[in-house]
Amino acid sequence: MPGPENSAENPALQEPADALAAVAALRRLADQLEDAAVEQAMRAGWSWPQVAEALGVTRQAVHKKHAKRLIAAGVTLRRRGDDRD
Amino acid sequence: MTAIDTYLHAIVVRAVREAREDASATVEAQHLLLGIADEPEATVREVLTSAGLDHRALREALGREFEHSLQTVGVSAAAHRLPRPSPACEQPKLGASAKLAMERGFASVSRKRDLRPAHLLLGVLQAQLGTVPRALALAGVDQAALLAQLRQELETTRDGGVARARGAAG
Repeated sequence: MPGPENSAENPALQEPADALAAVAALRRLADQLEDAAVEQAMRAGWSWPQVAEALGVTRQAVHKKHAKRLIAAGVTLRRRGDDRD
Repeated sequence: MTAIDTYLHAIVVRAVREAREDASATVEAQHLLLGIADEPEATVREVLTSAGLDHRALREALGREFEHSLQTVGVSAAAHRLPRPSPACEQPKLGASAKLAMERGFASVSRKRDLRPAHLLLGVLQAQLGTVPRALALAGVDQAALLAQLRQELETTRDGGVARARGAAG
């Protein structure tokens, strides 16, 4: 195995197929991680604006993507103006 | 509704379930393949069994492909310890790789009534790039040989009345 420190010398990534497959796998992992992390935050009482700001996306985007799933899962969601900090 | 509509519906329903299992927003070729793996059609069974590919073996191969692809950039899927998220409510939509596999499968017959589940498998196995070929290679499966075997099986059973016996010609 070559030295793992320098990715430019990593032969695995010299293959475009490996690099492209890594992109697909990372997207899938990021989606899974986002679903899990947003759910964990909302269960812990975070608000939509907080989650959105932490993710670096708009509140509308995060709400649209996750609200239905979390409501169906029975997660108690904070309403706007419900300050518990 | 023709017989292939019934088969196709059953395979797609299973593929959707597999996509949900993966928490995937789209049904991809690998989900279609998993759906096909539970298909009772003789040709499909024979070809997949000869390569040791049942549903479980395919799931393992796909899991290995995921881990392997992440490892090439130094990432481990097991690195985060968050609880498994609740499932999505929306029905996963047909993704690009599944559409391509279906198009290839449909293109392998001249008449729709000749289409059988094995042709869908043919469509999936024709992919040379993407998750399915990588997973099969990691599982030590000779995809080209599998494809050749499937083509041959389809050729020998084409006029053998398999489809007619199942009422597909009606």
